[in-house]
Amino acid sequence: MNQNTDLLTLRSVSKSYGTVPVLHDIDLSIRDGEFLTVLGPSGSGKTTVLRLIGGLEPLTSGEIRLDGQDISRMPINRRPFNTVFQDYALFPHLTVSGNVGYGLSVRHIQRKEIARRVAEALELVQLGRFADRFPAQLSGGQRQRVALARALICQPRLILLDEPLAALDLELRRQMQVFLKSIQREIKTTFLFVTHDQEEAIGMADRICVMEAGHIRQLGTPHDLYYRPNCEFVARFFGENNLVAGKLGAVQGELRSIETALGRLVCSISSQPHLKAAAEGASAFAAFRPEALHLADAKDTDNHFSGTISDLAFAGSSTVATITAGADNAAQRLRLRVPSRVDGSALKSGEAVSLSFAPHEGHLVLA
Amino acid sequence: MSAPPRLSTIFLAAITTLVAVLLYSPLFVPIVSSFFTISHGSVDWSSPTLSTYVALAENHDILVALRTTLIVGVCTVILSVVSGTLLALYYHGRRSGRSLLQFIIFLPFLMPPIISGLALLIFFREIGLERSLLTVVIGHTVFVLAIVYRTVLMRLQSMSRTLVEASYDLGATGWQTFWRITLPNLSSAMVGGAILAFALSFDETMITILVTGTQSTLPVRLWAMMRLGFSPDINALVALILMFTVLLCALAARFLIPRQVATERS
Repeated sequence: MNQNTDLLTLRSVSKSYGTVPVLHDIDLSIRDGEFLTVLGPSGSGKTTVLRLIGGLEPLTSGEIRLDGQDISRMPINRRPFNTVFQDYALFPHLTVSGNVGYGLSVRHIQRKEIARRVAEALELVQLGRFADRFPAQLSGGQRQRVALARALICQPRLILLDEPLAALDLELRRQMQVFLKSIQREIKTTFLFVTHDQEEAIGMADRICVMEAGHIRQLGTPHDLYYRPNCEFVARFFGENNLVAGKLGAVQGELRSIETALGRLVCSISSQPHLKAAAEGASAFAAFRPEALHLADAKDTDNHFSGTISDLAFAGSSTVATITAGADNAAQRLRLRVPSRVDGSALKSGEAVSLSFAPHEGHLVLA
Repeated sequence: MSAPPRLSTIFLAAITTLVAVLLYSPLFVPIVSSFFTISHGSVDWSSPTLSTYVALAENHDILVALRTTLIVGVCTVILSVVSGTLLALYYHGRRSGRSLLQFIIFLPFLMPPIISGLALLIFFREIGLERSLLTVVIGHTVFVLAIVYRTVLMRLQSMSRTLVEASYDLGATGWQTFWRITLPNLSSAMVGGAILAFALSFDETMITILVTGTQSTLPVRLWAMMRLGFSPDINALVALILMFTVLLCALAARFLIPRQVATERS
């Protein structure tokens, strides 16, 4: 198992339903053994990517390669992939072990062997006691694990998961995230996980592929996407962010200035050569996270601006302040997140504050 | 929501009861009176008896007719379930031609039976098919096909498409998917459709009279008996048929309404 070799490659894959295009020229490589999450709002084409790989839909153009071999026209039942469906798609007339063993029994594997592997798979998903139940007698989380066991028993090269946690409540969803990740590590199989929930994506993925309107916007580690978004969409979609529009200024080593309604701001452009190359005066956004923003003190030489706290919201471990900053005709709404304290916040609603963020904690995205 | 005023509730209940009694009490009269002797055209309530049932059991014509009805019913069920299921499978998911097919299938069911019966009669004569039990079976199948087709199609449409996808995804062939996933999920709808088809075939009179040869089914025999006068064993017969039909309907409902499975949560 080598995480650096590509298992599956999509080359300029397009898909249209009738005359409606849903995927435009997608290029994507899935590495062997990784947990790749495809993240996007509804209608971004993320489920279509999964269905094309699984063979549930034909490609309109382009090709899909597995170990370098074109499998674009391989029928669904011959592809070494298995899917965990959003509605689980458990067979209602079969028991849990009937469901889990289905993939083996259609391949005419001996009964004894099937029984052994079913027991093993059920043990793995901690459902050993439920082998003789019917799907209707299981809870949502249990059904989900049956669907997972059914997919992994065939030892596929790739497991495709189509928003499998969407129907579960929050607590169960968190448990299942941890569980899925641990199973993935244990069986060392590549997972392609589709979701619209960025918290889910951050929590589980080795890499995240952000999709919007049938395009891949960015592919990278959760850390990359969070701290080095390459476009406005990713910067806004992935986590809370403050975006302030402006015109690019001069490059100063790993930093670059931008003229905004809040004055001149300086942000990091490290390992983002396209920002270094962009012309001066080009439209861009300064982006900084609510947790990077703080009350200014004497040490802060850059990125100073003042504002008024318009709202304070206690959110458990942290408190979020909404701040109106900048001149009246170009007022910006910013969010500031500080750890909550038992003796109340140092911030007061309606108070005028001086704010700052460290240049290396801000970044730039081109408009 | 607050409870409605008391007076109107009582009024509604009274009306409902009255309508129910008016509509359905005639059904119970033959059942009740089948347990009493009838003399001079009126029921003698003083002496409960099973004599009408004994008389019925000794009526050879009735028993032959009953056997004929069962043969016709079973053949009709087999023919209509097989063809109705095939049609439903073929047209499920296909847009083109479906509404036309559905119209044709439902036509004999919705038309007055006498029209369907006459059409069949003329058709059989034109192609030179002798009137017999075969023509009766064909007539009944044409009549009940709509019920089976509709029942199976409804089940197909309520079946999640991902079940079939999951089967393929797990490596099954089309044939395996059909036998192991699609058919088992249709089976209760097919049984329900079969029971309804049997009940309809059992009752069918008009088409049967027109297309049958020398043999009569039970309703046709009953019709003939009625013309000769009111004989007490008819009460017993009606009571038996009524109970049998109720039983069939209960069975059909059991198969057609999805089972409620208690969901256990751990």
